[in-house]
Amino acid sequence: MQSSQIAPRANLAGWLYVSPLVLVLVPFFVAPILVVLAASFFATDGFGGLTPGFTLSNYIEVLHSALTLKLYIATVKFTVLTWIFTLIIGFFVAYFLVFHVRNQLLAIGLFLLCTVPFWTSNIIRMISWIPLLGKEGLINQALLATGAIHQPLEVLLFSDLAVVIAYVHQLTIFMIVPIFNSMARIDKKLIEAAVDAGASRFDIMRLIVVPMSKSGIALGTIFVVSIVMGDFFVVKVMSGGGSASVVSAFYEDVGVLQYPTAAASAVLLTLVLIAIVSLILRTVDIRQEIAR
Amino acid sequence: MAIERGDIELAGLCKSFDGVTNVVDGVNLKIADGAYCCFIGPSGCGKTTILRMIAGHEDPTAGEIVIDGQNVVGLAPAQRRTAMMFQAYALFPHLTARENIAFALRVRGMSKADRLRAADAMIEKVRLTSFADRLPAQLSGGQQQRVALARAAITEPRVLLLDEPLSALDEQLRVQMRQELRRMQQQLGITFIHVTHTQLEAIALADLVVVMEQGRIKQAGPARDVYAHPHDRYVAEFMGGQNVLSGRVEKVNGASFVMTQAAPDGIEVPFQARAKICVGDTVDIAVRRDDVTLVRPGQTLPVGCSTSLPSRVLAIEYQGYFVKVMLDAVPDHEFVAYVPEKTFFADPLNVGDVVLATWATDRARPLA
Amino acid sequence: MSAMIADMQRAVVPATNKAIAPSRGGRPWTFYALSSLFALYVLALYGPMICIYILSFQDIRGGLVFPMKGHSLHWFVDLFTQVRTGDVKGSFDRSIKLAVIVTIITVVISFLAGLGFRRRFTGDAVVFYMMIGSLVAPGLVLGLGTGLLFQALGLNASWYTSALGAQLSWTLPFGVLVMFAVMSRYNRAWDEAAYDLGASRWQTIWLVIVPVLAPGIVAVALFGFTLSYDEFARSLQTAGSLNTLPLEIWSMTLNVTSPSLYALGTVTTIISFIVIGVSLGTIVLIQKKRGGQAKG
Repeated sequence: MQSSQIAPRANLAGWLYVSPLVLVLVPFFVAPILVVLAASFFATDGFGGLTPGFTLSNYIEVLHSALTLKLYIATVKFTVLTWIFTLIIGFFVAYFLVFHVRNQLLAIGLFLLCTVPFWTSNIIRMISWIPLLGKEGLINQALLATGAIHQPLEVLLFSDLAVVIAYVHQLTIFMIVPIFNSMARIDKKLIEAAVDAGASRFDIMRLIVVPMSKSGIALGTIFVVSIVMGDFFVVKVMSGGGSASVVSAFYEDVGVLQYPTAAASAVLLTLVLIAIVSLILRTVDIRQEIAR
Repeated sequence: MAIERGDIELAGLCKSFDGVTNVVDGVNLKIADGAYCCFIGPSGCGKTTILRMIAGHEDPTAGEIVIDGQNVVGLAPAQRRTAMMFQAYALFPHLTARENIAFALRVRGMSKADRLRAADAMIEKVRLTSFADRLPAQLSGGQQQRVALARAAITEPRVLLLDEPLSALDEQLRVQMRQELRRMQQQLGITFIHVTHTQLEAIALADLVVVMEQGRIKQAGPARDVYAHPHDRYVAEFMGGQNVLSGRVEKVNGASFVMTQAAPDGIEVPFQARAKICVGDTVDIAVRRDDVTLVRPGQTLPVGCSTSLPSRVLAIEYQGYFVKVMLDAVPDHEFVAYVPEKTFFADPLNVGDVVLATWATDRARPLA
Repeated sequence: MSAMIADMQRAVVPATNKAIAPSRGGRPWTFYALSSLFALYVLALYGPMICIYILSFQDIRGGLVFPMKGHSLHWFVDLFTQVRTGDVKGSFDRSIKLAVIVTIITVVISFLAGLGFRRRFTGDAVVFYMMIGSLVAPGLVLGLGTGLLFQALGLNASWYTSALGAQLSWTLPFGVLVMFAVMSRYNRAWDEAAYDLGASRWQTIWLVIVPVLAPGIVAVALFGFTLSYDEFARSLQTAGSLNTLPLEIWSMTLNVTSPSLYALGTVTTIISFIVIGVSLGTIVLIQKKRGGQAKG
């Protein structure tokens, strides 16, 4: 239905209902983004003061810096690795819950079991890696005790591996939820018809479940990608300062009051994120999927 | 307190959703106070739209809806003193049957004690007293329907509108609940407007049957009129029970004419003098299915029959007290005879048998 | 759908004995494989946290790693009584207060927005993408922007103004998305029935929509509370001079030296679990009262 055909009364009603939402989002989302955008064109006095003006020097500085490229490569590396693992684990956990657990109540209970850690503090979950992955942690102790290794593995904590482990641990739930949602919507009769036609379980997964979970996968990917690319503290803590991400560098810039360069870097990241998210949204109509 | 009348007049009623096609196209109709009126037609014919316009859930694009002399277009449903019973009932899932029924009184500000008492009185009328505390999910289809009826009736409307009230029920329950509806209507003494797509339901319940097609009324009248004397091919075929034959008029003899094409020997059809039938006209005639007698070739035709159509039996369906025999008398069209059970089994037919289909001459009627 | 079936018929090698047979009692091998994966996942999910909880009960000799030394509530006492650089009790109070405010605002605004989005209206796509954008934007960037904005306007950043707004920009999209999912199960005929019986718009919302959607609203409240209580990135630059609990924890992690941090972790998790338990319990109770209604 064309928007020109929507009665003005319906329009007014719609806007009245969403106006509180808009009234919060404009000052706390739209305005800050615009402020950051503006700040990226300003100059600074080095002490946190901003002189309004228009200069592209910040962008030039950011784009020419070799550091920028390195940061993006590192961030993208983390993003891709995290995405792969969260997708695989998330898909199969969702598949298990939807298709192998027969009791619906049990399935929902197990699903909730997976989501509960999400409700607890991120930061606590990060420090909780120390007793597990550290040099004197449980894993190392266990491996030493069984004689599998002779020196404690240092690579488990404060390394890139630790960063990915932490990301996957934190973000798999973001894959499970939308994929679970998509899978649960698949009409069981489709599966029965496929079984009737002689399809094997693998075929069913390949030809029915995967295509019909596409929107869930897309939604989960958006979450994972945007969170990893926007993260600064997981990478900082879990790598022990050894690695950095785009946003952690941004955090450092802000720390030394280099607002304009930080802002330029932020704008750049936002553009990249928008590009990625738009690409993903092309593959599926999210609005219809959510609002259905 | 003035006695409210629920007579309805629809004048020039039109409705279009997209500005291009009219879903309801110029409907004019008068419904008497206290009548049971059924709208019937295929999906998309506009019957539900008309119902919703009378109820106040849609606004007409043009035309008037007059109830008891008052044009109600633009008024909210509660202001019109109408109430609607929704398809699939739309009972509030979080309220008990009693609370559902009391809802209309609650929104009018009646005190809790008063409204629950009134609801209980209503529950008595629909005979659901022992189920009053159940939630809709705990009620059967028939019980839910009674709750929906009570919920609508408690506001003492002058017109009650029912949107396919029986279609959610299974066959046996449907027949039972039909009588419940009729009983309620007579007890309440108000106008009922009932939309359905089941012909037998409409003719069982209604004082006034309105047959619709594509937004227009094709025929409106008492059930017997519409069923036994359809005005045109569409109504005849839709209501069922009729065979429709087409042909060209060959001869006109005073009070009857002879038509060929359907039968090479000609079919003699009596007609009313005021209908203008001339030689060469194309006409449709209707013969009721239960007026058709089947005889084996060579047997004498019953008294009063002048026509016989030789045909082959295509299919036979046992329907209890009659047997439905489908014949190929008319190419590309259905021709069906309802043969009384005893008659059929005295000399059973088989698929492929050749028979003569015949009927008393005065039982054929021309259609408008 | 028929195309899919046709595809499959072409692709499939007859292997009927491996097909899913829901009526048969036996389980295919993949069930065991997947359930092991699931068990491992849950273990990995809870494992690290459980280590912390256990270690927080050490006595005064306790260190940061296993093996565990003794058991006592020493570190819990230490957490709340030791005067240290940092203000656990204060930030804890602030976090709870802020979370409650955020919850209430999120529930009301998300509910209204959910109602608004039931029908299309001009510009609804703009609002929708604004919401998604707010969800996806890096918290730190928004935090900076908000901080600068307040600075430019000459306002002081504080936990109950700028941090409140910043947290709302995070919780509202979640709340609205949950409302979307819940609204799609709502039958519009109930609205019409209420209108037919004479209810005003407000009465319909209060007497029909809210009670029917109550479990969903509780879910939104759950999201609102926990997302606010644990929110870090956006609060970092908008909280002003007084910290919320996550910010407090953050400054403590930068110099992790004793298990009192673990004790803090245990306490804050217990709070979260209580909130979750109450919310889920409420939802289950409501569903039970509805009796036999299909789970939402």
